[in-house]
Amino acid sequence: MATPYYVPETNVPLPPKGADVISTACDYCVVACGYKVYRWPVTAKSGGPTADSNAFDEDFPVAPLGAWVAPNQHNIVLHKNKPHHVVIVPDKDAEHVNTDGDSSLRGGCIAQKCYNPQTPTRDRLKTPLMRIYGTLMPVPWDLALEVAAEVGKHVIKKHGTNAYGVKTFSYQYIENTYAISKYALRHINTANFTFHDTPSDVTSTPGFRDAGFDNFGPAYEDWMNAETLLVCGTDPYETKTILYTQWMMKGMQNGQKEIYLIPRRSAGVAYAEKMGGLHIDITPGTDLLVVNAIARVIVENGWEDSDWIQKWVNNKWESSSGFGQGTRNTPWQWRTTWGKFQTAGFEDWKKWLLAQDEFIPENAAAVAEIDVQKIYTAAEWMAKPREDGTRPKTSIMIEKGFYWSNNTGNTQAISALGIITGCGGRPGQVIGRAGGHQRGGVKGGSYPRNKSPEKLPGRRRRAMDTDRYLIAGHTRFAHVIGTTWIQAMCGSQQLADKFEELTVQNPHQIRSFDKAEIIETLKKRADSGGMVVINQDIYLQDPIGNRYADIVFPAATWGEEDFLRANGERRVRLYQKFYDAPGAAKPDWWIIANLAKRMGFDGFDWENSNEVAEEAVRFTRGSRKDFFVLKKLAHDEGKTLHQKVAEFGTSGIQCPAMLADDGKTIIETKRLHDTTRKLPETGAAGINMINKKLTHFNSQTGKCNIQKSPWNLFSDYWEWLKPAKDEGELWCTSGRINERWQSGFDDRRRPYIVQRWPENWVEIHPDDAEARGIESGDYVMIYSERVPGHKHTILGVEADDFQFSKLMENGHIELTKAAITAVAMVTPAIKKSVLYMDFLHMQQPANALEGRVVDWISGNYNYKMGVAKIKKLGPSPYKTSFRTMSFAPRDIV
Amino acid sequence: MAEHSKKACSCKGKAKKNCTINRRQFLFASGATAFTVMVTVRSGKGHAEQVPALVSTYPRKHIGKLSEMHQDVPVEFSYPDEGDYSTSILVKTGVECGGGVGQQRDLVAFNMTCTHQGGDMYESYKPEHKVLGPCPLHLSTYDLTRHGILVSGQAYQSLPQVLLELDGDDIYAVGMFGLIYGRYDNLAS
Repeated sequence: MATPYYVPETNVPLPPKGADVISTACDYCVVACGYKVYRWPVTAKSGGPTADSNAFDEDFPVAPLGAWVAPNQHNIVLHKNKPHHVVIVPDKDAEHVNTDGDSSLRGGCIAQKCYNPQTPTRDRLKTPLMRIYGTLMPVPWDLALEVAAEVGKHVIKKHGTNAYGVKTFSYQYIENTYAISKYALRHINTANFTFHDTPSDVTSTPGFRDAGFDNFGPAYEDWMNAETLLVCGTDPYETKTILYTQWMMKGMQNGQKEIYLIPRRSAGVAYAEKMGGLHIDITPGTDLLVVNAIARVIVENGWEDSDWIQKWVNNKWESSSGFGQGTRNTPWQWRTTWGKFQTAGFEDWKKWLLAQDEFIPENAAAVAEIDVQKIYTAAEWMAKPREDGTRPKTSIMIEKGFYWSNNTGNTQAISALGIITGCGGRPGQVIGRAGGHQRGGVKGGSYPRNKSPEKLPGRRRRAMDTDRYLIAGHTRFAHVIGTTWIQAMCGSQQLADKFEELTVQNPHQIRSFDKAEIIETLKKRADSGGMVVINQDIYLQDPIGNRYADIVFPAATWGEEDFLRANGERRVRLYQKFYDAPGAAKPDWWIIANLAKRMGFDGFDWENSNEVAEEAVRFTRGSRKDFFVLKKLAHDEGKTLHQKVAEFGTSGIQCPAMLADDGKTIIETKRLHDTTRKLPETGAAGINMINKKLTHFNSQTGKCNIQKSPWNLFSDYWEWLKPAKDEGELWCTSGRINERWQSGFDDRRRPYIVQRWPENWVEIHPDDAEARGIESGDYVMIYSERVPGHKHTILGVEADDFQFSKLMENGHIELTKAAITAVAMVTPAIKKSVLYMDFLHMQQPANALEGRVVDWISGNYNYKMGVAKIKKLGPSPYKTSFRTMSFAPRDIV
Repeated sequence: MAEHSKKACSCKGKAKKNCTINRRQFLFASGATAFTVMVTVRSGKGHAEQVPALVSTYPRKHIGKLSEMHQDVPVEFSYPDEGDYSTSILVKTGVECGGGVGQQRDLVAFNMTCTHQGGDMYESYKPEHKVLGPCPLHLSTYDLTRHGILVSGQAYQSLPQVLLELDGDDIYAVGMFGLIYGRYDNLAS
């Protein structure tokens, strides 16, 4: 593990003329900045400080924003088994995304991601491992794959397909997600399948889905070109840096007003305030009330965008056309016909809105604990026409702090606010997600929803809650790919207890050298009610791999294989291989293919990742990242798909893509739902697929559905959860911090980042801290005696069977204790009565304190909703050390 | 206060690099150096005999007088040369700092160019927080009490810290920790 002492370098080698230059993009956040890898053999002479002696053609020292190389941007890797220098820097010639050659700290230091046994990356998984006599031991691929396949086949045959659970990343490159979903959904056909960030394979933003908004319709330039931008539940400076520094900051410098709806003031929020913006510091879970109060002020003043609404919002008849005509068996169909959300158009929605007293600004402000004036100001900025009658160009950006607080309610409310303020469909007037991880998912099979036991009242099927299914003991074989699972899910400690019971505590453990006996043991484990765990990852994660896995497959990752992926504005690029994967590590598609063949499945005979991509690309047709036409172009030119995409370097192709009439020129898509866009007159001829979403919205008519967002579907949970302040409880929420990515799988191996953030921390308001005698740098215990966990898979009959208060009344909610430690950071940047932590520290997972109760309409967790007590344990070493951590405020602008 | 080297190293080329590496390796392993500003052991005698090997690659430059320093009033100077990005600040923070010298160990010095993309952090010292920044380009801030560690922002490393020595009332810059923006080697401008 990383030494906590970062000793900075004072010089760095420069790439020489003639160094290999390989384009790629950052592995981390959704923005996916363009990067260039400079590679040269360690035996060759490095470049010099003059323009004629280095690959940058620059004289050193370079100018600000120049081609500087920080020591953290250099590494030594094996390429074709020979040591090479690599310098990995943001593409200084980038025309898109990270214009100005900008980068965040995360991507800026991505060279440190590369495997190098002289750095803390030395513990990369290099061989398959099998737990024999309680210890994970290296074994050959054949043995690991054969045992996994034999046990997998047995579990499916004896316990059914749903006993084979697959929990996987959704984003780690198109080739991998395609292979994994083809295996799990098309071949195994299990409903026990979901992604890294949700217990159920369901839409992340149900309100967007119903309104007709794509999550990633906007272009980055739209976020810059809006005049008023409402940002809900995120500070992009902290989480998707370049979206902020290259686009939003420039917008604000040009007069854009930004409004932040978030309980925490970090640097991006503070800068927006400095530039004349507004921070609405709401209490967790009250977003819906504030959003609807803003909408109420707008309609009471008649500031809504009437022309837009007239043209682009479904009226009563349009609203019903298509609705309710199907099976009512998909979440979208039943949500929109249930009566709780559907309206007969704008006037009907307005009538409903005005009839809800909780949306009167003063009432909403009281519950949200904010200054009511902020509601009026936001309404004015977003919608009040100017004296000349023109309207402000308004856009809305949402992210997890918002849609993981009251998933269905918040996304329904914000969609309606977006519709009435004319967001969506025009340059600078958009609505969408900012995004978290990149968009690398292509499905090779469809989810068998009808095999899910999850049934809401009526004919309402929903994807399985895989955590609850596991806790009920139904999962006999857990195939875990590139996710920590346990710490990433709510009620982490409840989940860990069950994993422990089903794996480690089961009597059937491998204590043999004989393959047949090993297989037999694991079959007995499954048959006895236990669970076998196989885990694919790049590092051994604890506990999923280190403690619970029976077999571990070492995966190859970024830079070690050619991969395709899209970013948050649908830009598809090739992430090129530039060095050798460590040891016997293999890309996930290869692992899946070789497991699948042993399971007896056909269609997994790929020789390389390009072959997977060429098969997968067909399944992008009609999607937001449709780049099928590139395959045709590639083949016309005698190239592979990967070769063709590589030609577009760090710019990539903004999708969906189509071909012009000449059959050669690529027509890209700047934004979806672009009502100003003119499509080719030939229409969907030849290879081109022209989807409604290009120029209209994703709904039954192509117009938006304006929907209700009742508070009472969620308010019983919120009221129950609300901290008992006299007992010392506080809200406990979590999110990202700029310097770390996801579980910190790479950051934990970067001495500088370990020095900055050695462990999890908790922001606490000075008043709350003083009352508890807590100072910055103190170790604290954050704990709860009432973490709710939904424990039964039930069939809903009555309309409110899944409502939290009913679940509670009927005994389906179990309350458990949870506790994690952290280092206190006392700061007024966090709202009083709210704690804020990093969302995914492996040892101190904030999710342990968040309720394991899904949003009962959508099936998503409301990860940001937790409650806890906090007490001082004593000083941490960081309180007085000068090397590690900093307790200075993070909102100095 | 701290002992210091009296002579600058005259090594060049490969030998100079070795000097640098020795300095790094020493600090990496050491917990016993009261004299170097990078190691913040409160008490104990310094191992002065190791000093020359550690800091001798850098010039020893007189940059001010302790008696003329006022709390939270930064003083500019150039180091390690007069070349691009050599502008640094010397500041008496009034609180104990990592690498601080003086009776309160509150006197520190840092390069003033942001180690993200070279923004000039001129006049950005925040006395109430002992922070330098925000950088006007992308808002990075640095904690001067903690060896210039990034507080918030995008920089790839801490702000380069200038190693200080005190000889009576005289303040000397004697070395540097961390690569200065724009350069490939601190001693090449």
